[in-house]
Amino acid sequence: MEKNNKDYRLREVKCPSGFTWANVKAELRAIWEANVKAWKIDFAYPVSFVRQLISPVVFMIPYLLYGLVLIGGTYSENLAQLVGTGDVVAFIFTGYIMMGFIGTAVWAMGFSMRREQWFGTLEAIYVTPASRLGQVLGMALHSTVHQGMGTLIQAVFIYVTFGLGLNMSGILPALLIFALMLFALYGFGIVIAAVSMILKEGWIVSDSFYSIMTILSPVAYPLTVLPTLAQQASAIFPTAPALIGMRTFLIYDYVPEVVGNVFLHLLALGIVWIVFGVFVFHLTDKYVRKKGILKKY
Amino acid sequence: MSLKMCVMLSLVVNKSGEVFSIQTVNLTKRFAKKRHRGVFGFLRRNQLDRDVIEKNGVTVALNKVNIKICPGELFGLLGPNGSGKTTMIKCLSTILIPDEGTVRVNGFDAQKETSMVRASLGMVVGGERTLYWKLTARDNLMYFASLYKMQRAHAKRRVDELLEMFHLSDRADERLEDYSTGMRQKVTIARALLHDPPILLLDEPTLGLDPGFSRQIRRQIRELSEKHGKTVLLTTHYMDEADQLCDRVAFINSGNIVAVDTPNRLKARVKEKEIVEVTVYSPPADIEERIRSLLPDAEVVKLILGDEDKGNPSRIKIIGGAAEEHVGTVIDALRQKNVRIGSLNVGVPTLEDVFIKLTGAKLTEGGMQ
Amino acid sequence: MMQSAYEQSSVRSNFFVVWNEFVKNMKFLMAYPIIFVFWAVFPIFWFIPFILQGQAFVGGLESASFAQIAGTEDYISFIVIGAVLNSYVNTLLYGMGESIRREAVQGTLDYVFAAPCNKAYVLIGKALSESVSSTIFAVSQLTISVLLFGVTFTLEVMFPVFFIVILLILGLYGLSLVLAAVSLMYKQSHDVSETIGYFFYIFSPVRYPIESLPSWAQIIGKLIPLTYALIIVRSIMLLGTSLTEMYWEIFALLIIDAVLIAAGFYMFNWMEEKTKRSGTISHH
Ligand SMILES: Nc1ncnc2c1ncn2[C@@H]1O[C@H](COP(=O)(O)OP(=O)(O)OP(=O)(O)O)[C@@H](O)[C@H]1O
Ligand SMILES: [Mg+2]
Repeated sequence: MEKNNKDYRLREVKCPSGFTWANVKAELRAIWEANVKAWKIDFAYPVSFVRQLISPVVFMIPYLLYGLVLIGGTYSENLAQLVGTGDVVAFIFTGYIMMGFIGTAVWAMGFSMRREQWFGTLEAIYVTPASRLGQVLGMALHSTVHQGMGTLIQAVFIYVTFGLGLNMSGILPALLIFALMLFALYGFGIVIAAVSMILKEGWIVSDSFYSIMTILSPVAYPLTVLPTLAQQASAIFPTAPALIGMRTFLIYDYVPEVVGNVFLHLLALGIVWIVFGVFVFHLTDKYVRKKGILKKY
Repeated sequence: MSLKMCVMLSLVVNKSGEVFSIQTVNLTKRFAKKRHRGVFGFLRRNQLDRDVIEKNGVTVALNKVNIKICPGELFGLLGPNGSGKTTMIKCLSTILIPDEGTVRVNGFDAQKETSMVRASLGMVVGGERTLYWKLTARDNLMYFASLYKMQRAHAKRRVDELLEMFHLSDRADERLEDYSTGMRQKVTIARALLHDPPILLLDEPTLGLDPGFSRQIRRQIRELSEKHGKTVLLTTHYMDEADQLCDRVAFINSGNIVAVDTPNRLKARVKEKEIVEVTVYSPPADIEERIRSLLPDAEVVKLILGDEDKGNPSRIKIIGGAAEEHVGTVIDALRQKNVRIGSLNVGVPTLEDVFIKLTGAKLTEGGMQ
Repeated sequence: MMQSAYEQSSVRSNFFVVWNEFVKNMKFLMAYPIIFVFWAVFPIFWFIPFILQGQAFVGGLESASFAQIAGTEDYISFIVIGAVLNSYVNTLLYGMGESIRREAVQGTLDYVFAAPCNKAYVLIGKALSESVSSTIFAVSQLTISVLLFGVTFTLEVMFPVFFIVILLILGLYGLSLVLAAVSLMYKQSHDVSETIGYFFYIFSPVRYPIESLPSWAQIIGKLIPLTYALIIVRSIMLLGTSLTEMYWEIFALLIIDAVLIAAGFYMFNWMEEKTKRSGTISHH
């Protein structure tokens, strides 16, 4: 039974690591594959896939109908006094885009690690040399596109039913603002992903953040109707400044309720949130491995 | 060479001047005992796990474990439920960070060179859902290949090769939810082999599989070790599995390594003429006590409860002393209590006997399926 | 004599099943105080944007154009009532579906179903506990709204409102039985309850008066029990209408309740038979 005939030598393993181009490429590919995997799994649940596509429409309708009933039309005198434009349809539509993407960060990214726990694959992922952040970022990629499709449907719907008048010449700077915002939002999503891994009732954290962020983002009202403290708090999340910036470019006659350099603000927020997110992610990564709670849910 | 140097070297170098595949030094892991959450949680009391040392709300899952596994070795970790086998595997695979001690895998330190350790090993966990059931076998493997940082073309070739090897090629594009448990387990093993790692960690790889599949899987493990020269660490609580498969076996009980040796040498620790095993049906609860009092020179008298509904009668094991002289006494004692005897055996020690003799604890109910 | 004694004991044992199930579910809720606090407080945050939106669009606390369609100028109370009643839909539909799914996952469902009692009583026990907890949540949300947003109403309207809430709950019981039946067959029961939730949210006057919907959508809305509950409760609380004036809506609500409950029991029994035969209860 005893083996003396084996060659007792360690084998070299080849695996890119560190700050090398090969490693960066491999990590990027892992992110991409996580994104592809998320699509495949989504297609396995067709009902839920379609529902997610139309949910931007479903959740925007109440804001619109209610708003229209409130003022008996599509023009609000009071809104015009506050921000220069009285066009509530354009105002709500731009605001609602933001709300959908908050959901992307909080729900999709925030639950990316949790989802692996539900699938039972989290430990298998942990024994691979790829960074776990790849899971979160892959999910970010996937759900950004998914949400983007929903937003398109939403735009078409609102255009057909209520008529949407946007200043299309401002689309490029608006998209740039949007991209900058996504970065900061991703950082935020990473934080939630980390936190929801160690908290049993992670959905409560996500839902709380989602609600607070929607209230602090001027989705269906100008920032100035919020109490002063809330207005100040909104500056730490990217959605409020981004929304104000995008409206400046997209809505005719819009006068921003808060002035400041949106680009710099978002850039700073992006850096801070991403750094903070990665930091928290690594902390929880260690914590979870210390406590051995990787598999609990 | 200074003494310090010498000690350092002896940690990583074995007698033939080579490095160990897996080596742990004073590996210790404790868990805080879980308290039930909730307002009324304090009313409930967890049943104490009597196999694990528990003090001040702490479970010692691994207690100063020192293990050295040579390259190419098929090493078994054998112990009852809750003895710390899975904890051990998790510490080696960097899923768990130990409280004390060091772990070296393939020459890399598990805490400092984590990703090289991960690249050096493949892990298989039996009896659990560890794959995407909504994806096909091929998708699963391709996905994990990307996590092992394999290049796409290479990954494709490797996946085909593995599907072929496990006879899954013709069903490779079906979703895993339509697979049988055994086939899923094969995919799990294939995943562990994707990056052709020198070391495999297998945590109860045959758990929940039927005898036929278990045999297939065991043959495959044997082959991986012999043909492909992989180092395999296998945990199990089937003693026969460890006996048949492993080059060396470590007994683990309550987080302590009790013995490490080849199966044959371990079994030699119990003399053939020391063992009596009686299978009985519905034994009274005090039978163990009764026989013990009748046989003062026996080292161990142990009643191992079986499951009669499943055709697994209970067994009484008597180890130590002169077996042949015990037989009469035991039969008389059982007769007196009107216990039905199924069979009686003298001699031929199994790993279980050694385990019982060493720890006093039983290993498992029933043997391998 | 024997016969009636037997019947009596069976009534009592059925009651006991309901009661046990009720106690079990309440215990479960108490074991997770965070969830409890969440449902008691957090739904407020979901409608705060609507109150802020009103202030931005209207500039005051009353809107004349809102009154033209909704009947009341007080849009804040309108929103609060809508949200609180809608929270019954959330907790009851999701709660029941979740509770059944949880048992299926934990593997206790087979056990519960194997027990020699009518499964419907188990479900009634669940529904009872869910509606008690929903009411606790609703009262809590209403109290917070009174304190935060200055919503006012007289206490004597609470009795007729409570009556209507019970009628709403009955309809939701029926619907959750249908859902439970579906979740035994179709594994993503969450999908189904979520989709129903969407329907309720869009076609019932939760956030806006039903008259603001296109007429085809209003017809769909008229099939939903929540629609009538909202219309009646708002009339009572905001316009001072008496219960007797709302006989037509109450009648419609009763009919819908009866249909839903009958359909619920029928479908549940049918699906249960079916799943028992194909043996797929606990494979979730
Ligand atoms: N994350 C954890 N938190 C608390 N205690 C834990 C944790 N993981 C393991 N334990 C405890 O550590 C001990 C060893 O568990 P482990 O899973 O290693 O046993 P095992 O030998 O693999 O058992 P089995 O044969 O049942 O798989 C047990 O008492 C277990 O309850
Ligand atoms: Mg184990």
